[in-house]
Amino acid sequence: MADSATPAKAKVLVVDDSSLVRLYYRSVLETAGFEVKQAINGIEAMEKVLSEPFDLVIVDVNMPRMDGFTFLRSLRSATADVATLPALMISTEAGEQDLAEARMAGANFYLVKPVAEAELVRHVCVLTGVAL
Amino acid sequence: MDDSKGGSSNAVHISSEQVQRFCEFLYRRTGMSFAESKRYFIDRRLEDRIAATGSSSFQEYFSLLRTDADQEIEHLINSFTVNETYFYREEHQLRCMTESLLDAMVSQKEPGATLRIWSIPCSTGEEPYSIALWLMENWPQVDNYNIEIVGSDIDTRALKAAAEGVYGDRALMRLSRDIIGRYFGPVTGGNRQIDEGLRNSIAFTRANLIDSEDMMQYRDFDLIFCRNVLIYFDDASRRLAAENLYDCLRPGGYICLGHSESMSRISPLFRVSRFPAAIVYQRPEADHG
Repeated sequence: MADSATPAKAKVLVVDDSSLVRLYYRSVLETAGFEVKQAINGIEAMEKVLSEPFDLVIVDVNMPRMDGFTFLRSLRSATADVATLPALMISTEAGEQDLAEARMAGANFYLVKPVAEAELVRHVCVLTGVAL
Repeated sequence: MDDSKGGSSNAVHISSEQVQRFCEFLYRRTGMSFAESKRYFIDRRLEDRIAATGSSSFQEYFSLLRTDADQEIEHLINSFTVNETYFYREEHQLRCMTESLLDAMVSQKEPGATLRIWSIPCSTGEEPYSIALWLMENWPQVDNYNIEIVGSDIDTRALKAAAEGVYGDRALMRLSRDIIGRYFGPVTGGNRQIDEGLRNSIAFTRANLIDSEDMMQYRDFDLIFCRNVLIYFDDASRRLAAENLYDCLRPGGYICLGHSESMSRISPLFRVSRFPAAIVYQRPEADHG
Protein backbone atom coordinates (compact mmCIF):
# COMPACT_ATOMS: atom_id res chain seq x y z
CA MET A 1 0.00 0.00 0.00
CA ALA A 2 2.80 2.35 0.92
CA ASP A 3 4.52 1.60 -2.37
CA SER A 4 1.61 2.63 -4.54
CA ALA A 5 1.00 5.75 -2.45
CA THR A 6 4.61 6.97 -2.64
CA PRO A 7 5.16 9.08 -5.75
CA ALA A 8 8.16 8.06 -7.87
CA LYS A 9 11.12 10.39 -7.59
CA ALA A 10 11.92 12.56 -10.58
CA LYS A 11 14.88 11.01 -12.39
CA VAL A 12 17.82 13.11 -13.54
CA LEU A 13 20.77 12.12 -15.74
CA VAL A 14 23.99 13.98 -14.94
CA VAL A 15 26.48 14.04 -17.84
CA ASP A 16 29.99 15.31 -17.05
CA ASP A 17 33.46 13.87 -17.64
CA SER A 18 34.64 14.83 -14.14
CA SER A 19 33.70 12.18 -11.60
CA LEU A 20 33.93 14.70 -8.77
CA VAL A 21 31.52 17.06 -10.52
CA ARG A 22 29.06 14.23 -11.19
CA LEU A 23 29.33 13.18 -7.58
CA TYR A 24 28.79 16.74 -6.33
CA TYR A 25 25.66 17.25 -8.44
CA ARG A 26 24.42 13.80 -7.52
CA SER A 27 24.90 14.43 -3.82
CA VAL A 28 23.08 17.77 -3.99
CA LEU A 29 20.20 16.38 -6.04
CA GLU A 30 19.78 13.15 -4.06
CA THR A 31 19.62 15.19 -0.87
CA ALA A 32 16.89 17.27 -2.53
CA GLY A 33 14.92 14.09 -3.28
CA PHE A 34 15.81 13.29 -6.89
CA GLU A 35 16.94 9.98 -8.32
CA VAL A 36 20.25 10.51 -10.14
CA LYS A 37 22.02 8.50 -12.84
CA GLN A 38 25.34 9.44 -14.42
CA ALA A 39 27.14 9.36 -17.76
CA ILE A 40 30.70 10.39 -18.56
CA ASN A 41 30.17 11.75 -22.09
CA GLY A 42 27.56 12.31 -24.80
CA ILE A 43 27.80 8.79 -26.19
CA GLU A 44 27.10 7.15 -22.83
CA ALA A 45 24.35 9.70 -22.15
CA MET A 46 22.66 8.91 -25.48
CA GLU A 47 22.70 5.18 -24.66
CA LYS A 48 21.12 5.90 -21.28
CA VAL A 49 18.33 8.19 -22.48
CA LEU A 50 17.42 5.67 -25.20
CA SER A 51 17.22 2.77 -22.76
CA GLU A 52 15.36 4.28 -19.78
CA PRO A 53 13.05 7.24 -19.13
CA PHE A 54 14.38 10.41 -17.50
CA ASP A 55 12.72 13.64 -16.38
CA LEU A 56 15.76 15.83 -17.03
CA VAL A 57 19.28 15.67 -18.39
CA ILE A 58 22.03 17.93 -17.01
CA VAL A 59 24.87 18.16 -19.48
CA ASP A 60 28.35 19.66 -19.47
CA VAL A 61 29.77 21.18 -22.69
CA ASN A 62 33.40 20.08 -22.88
CA MET A 63 33.64 16.30 -22.75
CA PRO A 64 35.81 13.79 -24.63
CA ARG A 65 34.36 11.61 -27.43
CA MET A 66 31.04 13.46 -27.66
CA ASP A 67 30.60 16.99 -26.31
CA GLY A 68 27.43 18.49 -24.85
CA PHE A 69 26.35 20.35 -28.00
CA THR A 70 26.63 17.23 -30.16
CA PHE A 71 24.74 15.25 -27.55
CA LEU A 72 21.91 17.78 -27.45
CA ARG A 73 21.59 17.80 -31.25
CA SER A 74 21.41 13.97 -31.26
CA LEU A 75 18.86 14.07 -28.45
CA ARG A 76 16.62 16.55 -30.28
CA SER A 77 16.67 14.45 -33.45
CA ALA A 78 15.70 11.23 -31.65
CA THR A 79 12.14 9.83 -31.49
CA ALA A 80 9.52 12.16 -29.96
CA ASP A 81 9.41 10.75 -26.40
CA VAL A 82 13.20 11.10 -26.05
CA ALA A 83 13.56 14.30 -28.13
CA THR A 84 11.35 16.27 -25.74
CA LEU A 85 13.42 15.48 -22.66
CA PRO A 86 14.22 18.78 -20.89
CA ALA A 87 17.93 19.59 -20.88
CA LEU A 88 19.91 21.85 -18.55
CA MET A 89 23.31 22.73 -19.91
CA ILE A 90 26.03 23.67 -17.40
CA SER A 91 29.32 25.02 -18.63
CA THR A 92 32.40 26.96 -17.61
CA GLU A 93 31.91 29.12 -20.72
CA ALA A 94 30.07 32.36 -19.98
CA GLY A 95 30.13 33.94 -23.47
CA GLU A 96 27.07 35.03 -25.48
CA GLN A 97 28.11 32.74 -28.31
CA ASP A 98 28.15 29.68 -26.04
CA LEU A 99 24.71 30.54 -24.77
CA ALA A 100 23.44 30.96 -28.33
CA GLU A 101 24.95 27.66 -29.42
CA ALA A 102 23.41 25.90 -26.41
CA ARG A 103 20.00 27.30 -27.30
CA MET A 104 20.40 26.29 -30.95
CA ALA A 105 21.47 22.77 -29.95
CA GLY A 106 18.31 22.44 -27.87
CA ALA A 107 19.14 23.34 -24.26
CA ASN A 108 16.12 24.47 -22.23
CA PHE A 109 18.31 26.38 -19.82
CA TYR A 110 21.98 27.28 -19.51
CA LEU A 111 23.94 27.79 -16.29
CA VAL A 112 27.54 28.93 -15.91
CA LYS A 113 29.76 27.07 -13.45
CA PRO A 114 30.28 27.27 -10.53
CA VAL A 115 26.67 26.42 -9.71
CA ALA A 116 25.68 26.77 -6.06
CA GLU A 117 23.61 23.99 -4.45
CA ALA A 118 20.45 26.06 -4.03
CA GLU A 119 20.68 27.36 -7.59
CA LEU A 120 21.05 23.85 -8.97
CA VAL A 121 18.13 22.50 -6.98
CA ARG A 122 15.95 25.45 -7.95
CA HIS A 123 16.52 25.02 -11.69
CA VAL A 124 16.15 21.25 -11.56
CA CYS A 125 12.85 21.64 -9.70
CA VAL A 126 11.58 24.11 -12.29
CA LEU A 127 12.64 21.97 -15.24
CA THR A 128 11.20 18.74 -13.79
CA GLY A 129 8.03 20.38 -12.52
CA VAL A 130 8.78 19.32 -8.94
CA ALA A 131 7.51 21.70 -6.27
CA LEU A 132 10.36 23.55 -4.55
CA MET B 1 59.49 -1.46 19.57
CA ASP B 2 61.89 0.44 21.81
CA ASP B 3 59.08 0.67 24.31
CA SER B 4 60.83 -1.90 26.46
CA LYS B 5 63.07 0.72 28.05
CA GLY B 6 62.03 2.81 31.04
CA GLY B 7 60.64 6.31 30.69
CA SER B 8 62.76 9.37 31.36
CA SER B 9 63.51 10.08 35.00
CA ASN B 10 61.93 13.53 34.96
CA ALA B 11 58.59 12.21 33.68
CA VAL B 12 55.60 13.19 35.81
CA HIS B 13 53.96 10.49 37.86
CA ILE B 14 50.64 9.18 36.54
CA SER B 15 48.52 7.01 38.82
CA SER B 16 46.37 4.09 37.70
CA GLU B 17 43.23 6.06 38.45
CA GLN B 18 44.45 8.90 36.28
CA VAL B 19 45.24 6.56 33.41
CA GLN B 20 41.79 5.05 33.72
CA ARG B 21 40.20 8.50 33.72
CA PHE B 22 42.26 9.44 30.71
CA CYS B 23 41.34 6.23 28.84
CA GLU B 24 37.65 6.85 29.48
CA PHE B 25 38.00 10.36 28.14
CA LEU B 26 39.92 9.14 25.09
CA TYR B 27 37.34 6.47 24.42
CA ARG B 28 34.43 8.92 24.68
CA ARG B 29 36.07 11.42 22.35
CA THR B 30 37.63 9.12 19.78
CA GLY B 31 36.33 5.59 20.18
CA MET B 32 39.90 4.42 20.79
CA SER B 33 40.09 1.95 23.63
CA PHE B 34 43.15 0.47 25.26
CA ALA B 35 43.34 -2.55 27.53
CA GLU B 36 45.33 -2.55 30.77
CA SER B 37 48.01 -4.52 28.92
CA LYS B 38 48.68 -1.38 26.87
CA ARG B 39 49.41 0.64 29.97
CA TYR B 40 53.02 1.20 29.02
CA PHE B 41 52.07 2.40 25.53
CA ILE B 42 49.59 4.86 27.02
CA ASP B 43 51.99 6.12 29.68
CA ARG B 44 54.70 6.82 27.14
CA ARG B 45 52.43 8.84 24.88
CA LEU B 46 50.84 10.66 27.77
CA GLU B 47 54.25 11.58 29.13
CA ASP B 48 55.26 12.84 25.70
CA ARG B 49 52.19 15.04 25.40
CA ILE B 50 52.53 16.34 28.97
CA ALA B 51 56.12 17.33 28.17
CA ALA B 52 55.23 18.75 24.74
CA THR B 53 52.55 21.00 26.20
CA GLY B 54 54.75 22.12 29.09
CA SER B 55 52.25 20.80 31.63
CA SER B 56 53.63 20.24 35.12
CA SER B 57 51.20 17.48 36.10
CA PHE B 58 48.71 15.03 34.70
CA GLN B 59 45.93 17.17 36.16
CA GLU B 60 47.16 20.27 34.38
CA TYR B 61 47.45 18.40 31.11
CA PHE B 62 44.03 16.81 31.52
CA SER B 63 42.46 20.25 31.98
CA LEU B 64 44.13 21.39 28.78
CA LEU B 65 42.84 18.33 27.01
CA ARG B 66 39.28 18.75 28.21
CA THR B 67 39.13 22.34 27.00
CA ASP B 68 40.84 21.29 23.75
CA ALA B 69 43.24 24.21 24.03
CA ASP B 70 45.63 24.46 21.05
CA GLN B 71 43.85 21.53 19.38
CA GLU B 72 45.42 19.23 21.93
CA ILE B 73 42.91 16.45 21.26
CA GLU B 74 44.12 16.33 17.67
CA HIS B 75 47.75 16.21 18.79
CA LEU B 76 46.93 13.49 21.26
CA ILE B 77 45.07 11.43 18.66
CA ASN B 78 47.99 11.80 16.29
CA SER B 79 50.40 10.51 18.89
CA PHE B 80 48.21 7.45 19.38
CA THR B 81 47.64 6.70 15.70
CA VAL B 82 51.09 6.36 14.24
CA ASN B 83 50.03 3.69 11.78
CA GLU B 84 46.45 4.56 11.25
CA THR B 85 44.61 7.61 10.17
CA TYR B 86 41.08 8.85 9.91
CA PHE B 87 38.86 11.07 7.79
CA TYR B 88 39.17 14.85 8.17
CA ARG B 89 42.42 14.52 10.13
CA GLU B 90 44.02 17.93 10.70
CA GLU B 91 40.91 19.58 9.42
CA HIS B 92 42.45 23.06 9.64
CA GLN B 93 44.61 22.21 6.61
CA LEU B 94 41.57 21.13 4.62
CA ARG B 95 39.95 24.40 5.66
CA CYS B 96 43.07 26.27 4.56
CA MET B 97 42.81 24.53 1.18
CA THR B 98 39.25 25.72 0.51
CA GLU B 99 39.49 29.09 2.27
CA SER B 100 42.83 30.23 0.85
CA LEU B 101 44.98 27.92 -1.25
CA LEU B 102 42.63 26.95 -4.06
CA ASP B 103 41.37 30.47 -4.59
CA ALA B 104 44.97 31.65 -4.89
CA MET B 105 45.68 28.90 -7.40
CA VAL B 106 42.64 29.31 -9.60
CA SER B 107 43.14 33.07 -9.83
CA GLN B 108 45.79 32.11 -12.40
CA LYS B 109 43.71 29.50 -14.19
CA GLU B 110 40.85 29.56 -16.66
CA PRO B 111 37.55 27.97 -15.60
CA GLY B 112 37.57 24.32 -16.58
CA ALA B 113 41.36 24.08 -16.12
CA THR B 114 42.90 21.11 -14.33
CA LEU B 115 43.80 21.26 -10.63
CA ARG B 116 46.07 18.47 -9.47
CA ILE B 117 46.13 17.44 -5.82
CA TRP B 118 48.41 14.74 -4.43
CA SER B 119 48.15 12.83 -1.20
CA ILE B 120 51.45 11.12 -0.39
CA PRO B 121 51.64 8.90 1.56
CA CYS B 122 47.94 8.19 1.27
CA SER B 123 48.01 5.07 3.46
CA THR B 124 44.60 3.36 3.27
CA GLY B 125 42.92 6.26 1.47
CA GLU B 126 41.41 8.35 4.26
CA GLU B 127 43.33 11.47 3.24
CA PRO B 128 42.62 11.60 -0.52
CA TYR B 129 38.97 10.69 0.09
CA SER B 130 38.81 13.40 2.76
CA ILE B 131 40.14 15.91 0.24
CA ALA B 132 37.45 14.92 -2.28
CA LEU B 133 34.68 15.01 0.34
CA TRP B 134 35.87 18.28 1.79
CA LEU B 135 35.98 19.88 -1.67
CA MET B 136 32.43 18.78 -2.49
CA GLU B 137 31.15 19.97 0.86
CA ASN B 138 33.11 23.19 1.22
CA TRP B 139 34.44 24.63 -2.02
CA PRO B 140 31.84 26.56 -4.03
CA GLN B 141 33.96 26.27 -7.18
CA VAL B 142 34.20 22.47 -7.10
CA ASP B 143 32.35 22.09 -10.41
CA ASN B 144 34.27 24.89 -12.12
CA TYR B 145 37.60 23.05 -12.41
CA ASN B 146 38.75 19.64 -13.50
CA ILE B 147 40.04 18.34 -10.19
CA GLU B 148 42.42 15.39 -10.29
CA ILE B 149 43.27 13.72 -6.99
CA VAL B 150 46.09 11.19 -6.82
CA GLY B 151 46.82 9.06 -3.76
CA SER B 152 50.24 7.40 -3.55
CA ASP B 153 51.95 5.19 -1.03
CA ILE B 154 54.94 2.89 -0.87
CA ASP B 155 52.80 0.13 0.69
CA THR B 156 50.82 -1.76 -1.93
CA ARG B 157 48.61 -3.43 0.70
CA ALA B 158 47.60 0.01 1.91
CA LEU B 159 46.86 1.02 -1.69
CA LYS B 160 44.68 -2.05 -2.21
CA ALA B 161 42.72 -1.17 0.92
CA ALA B 162 42.46 2.44 -0.26
CA ALA B 163 40.97 1.35 -3.59
CA GLU B 164 38.46 -0.86 -1.76
CA GLY B 165 37.55 2.02 0.54
CA VAL B 166 36.13 0.03 3.45
CA TYR B 167 36.36 1.70 6.86
CA GLY B 168 35.42 1.10 10.47
CA ASP B 169 33.89 3.54 12.94
CA ARG B 170 37.23 4.82 14.12
CA ALA B 171 38.27 6.06 10.69
CA LEU B 172 34.91 7.80 10.32
CA MET B 173 34.74 9.32 13.81
CA ARG B 174 35.22 12.90 12.60
CA LEU B 175 32.59 12.74 9.84
CA SER B 176 29.03 13.89 10.41
CA ARG B 177 26.22 11.36 10.21
CA ASP B 178 24.92 13.25 7.19
CA ILE B 179 28.17 12.84 5.25
CA ILE B 180 28.46 9.19 6.22
CA GLY B 181 24.87 8.65 5.07
CA ARG B 182 25.45 10.31 1.73
CA TYR B 183 28.81 8.90 0.76
CA PHE B 184 29.16 5.54 2.54
CA GLY B 185 27.19 2.34 2.31
CA PRO B 186 27.06 -0.48 4.86
CA VAL B 187 29.09 -3.64 4.20
CA THR B 188 29.67 -6.78 6.25
CA GLY B 189 31.28 -6.65 9.68
CA GLY B 190 29.73 -3.33 10.66
CA ASN B 191 32.07 -1.44 8.32
CA ARG B 192 31.21 1.06 5.63
CA GLN B 193 32.39 1.35 2.05
CA ILE B 194 32.90 4.70 0.41
CA ASP B 195 30.79 5.51 -2.64
CA GLU B 196 31.88 3.91 -5.93
CA GLY B 197 31.96 7.27 -7.67
CA LEU B 198 34.41 8.54 -5.07
CA ARG B 199 36.53 5.43 -5.36
CA ASN B 200 36.73 5.97 -9.11
CA SER B 201 37.52 9.65 -8.75
CA ILE B 202 40.93 9.03 -7.17
CA ALA B 203 43.95 7.44 -8.86
CA PHE B 204 45.89 5.26 -6.43
CA THR B 205 49.52 4.63 -7.37
CA ARG B 206 52.67 3.30 -5.76
CA ALA B 207 55.42 5.85 -5.16
CA ASN B 208 58.48 6.11 -2.99
CA LEU B 209 59.23 9.62 -1.73
CA ILE B 210 62.96 9.11 -1.59
CA ASP B 211 63.29 7.44 -4.99
CA SER B 212 63.95 10.32 -7.39
CA GLU B 213 63.35 8.20 -10.47
CA ASP B 214 60.03 7.02 -9.11
CA MET B 215 59.05 10.58 -8.30
CA MET B 216 59.84 11.79 -11.83
CA GLN B 217 56.51 10.38 -13.00
CA TYR B 218 54.73 12.87 -10.77
CA ARG B 219 54.76 16.43 -12.00
CA ASP B 220 52.68 19.62 -12.11
CA PHE B 221 50.81 19.21 -8.86
CA ASP B 222 49.11 22.35 -7.60
CA LEU B 223 48.87 21.07 -4.06
CA ILE B 224 50.56 18.24 -2.17
CA PHE B 225 49.58 16.82 1.19
CA CYS B 226 52.61 15.08 2.67
CA ARG B 227 51.79 14.71 6.31
CA ASN B 228 53.43 12.89 9.17
CA VAL B 229 55.95 10.92 7.14
CA LEU B 230 59.05 13.12 7.01
CA ILE B 231 59.34 12.86 10.80
CA TYR B 232 60.22 9.20 10.37
CA PHE B 233 63.14 9.90 8.01
CA ASP B 234 66.71 10.78 8.88
CA ASP B 235 68.08 14.17 7.80
CA ALA B 236 69.49 13.02 4.45
CA SER B 237 66.31 11.20 3.39
CA ARG B 238 64.19 14.07 4.55
CA ARG B 239 66.13 16.50 2.40
CA LEU B 240 65.96 14.20 -0.60
CA ALA B 241 62.21 13.75 -0.16
CA ALA B 242 61.77 17.54 0.08
CA GLU B 243 63.73 18.06 -3.14
CA ASN B 244 61.67 15.41 -4.90
CA LEU B 245 58.44 16.97 -3.71
CA TYR B 246 59.66 20.37 -4.89
CA ASP B 247 60.08 18.97 -8.41
CA CYS B 248 56.60 17.44 -8.31
CA LEU B 249 54.99 20.81 -7.61
CA ARG B 250 54.35 23.31 -10.32
CA PRO B 251 55.90 26.74 -9.61
CA GLY B 252 53.59 28.53 -7.19
CA GLY B 253 52.18 25.24 -5.90
CA TYR B 254 51.77 24.48 -2.19
CA ILE B 255 52.66 21.64 0.14
CA CYS B 256 51.00 20.85 3.48
CA LEU B 257 53.05 18.97 6.07
CA GLY B 258 51.97 17.42 9.37
CA HIS B 259 51.37 19.62 12.42
CA SER B 260 54.73 18.85 13.98
CA GLU B 261 56.77 19.14 10.80
CA SER B 262 58.53 22.21 9.46
CA MET B 263 59.89 22.46 5.94
CA SER B 264 62.09 25.37 6.98
CA ARG B 265 64.18 22.96 9.02
CA ILE B 266 64.46 20.54 6.12
CA SER B 267 65.07 22.53 2.97
CA PRO B 268 65.53 26.17 1.94
CA LEU B 269 63.73 25.58 -1.38
CA PHE B 270 60.27 26.45 -0.13
CA ARG B 271 58.75 29.69 1.03
CA VAL B 272 56.68 29.71 4.23
CA SER B 273 53.08 30.86 3.63
CA ARG B 274 51.00 31.74 6.66
CA PHE B 275 47.27 31.56 6.09
CA PRO B 276 44.59 32.07 8.76
CA ALA B 277 43.89 28.35 9.05
CA ALA B 278 47.36 26.86 8.60
CA ILE B 279 51.01 27.31 7.76
CA VAL B 280 51.91 25.77 4.41
CA TYR B 281 54.93 25.85 2.13
CA GLN B 282 55.10 27.17 -1.39
CA ARG B 283 57.37 26.45 -4.32
CA PRO B 284 58.22 30.00 -5.45
CA GLU B 285 56.77 31.12 -8.80
CA ALA B 286 60.23 31.72 -10.22
CA ASP B 287 63.37 29.90 -9.20
CA HIS B 288 66.17 32.19 -8.08
CA GLY B 289 69.73 31.04 -8.37
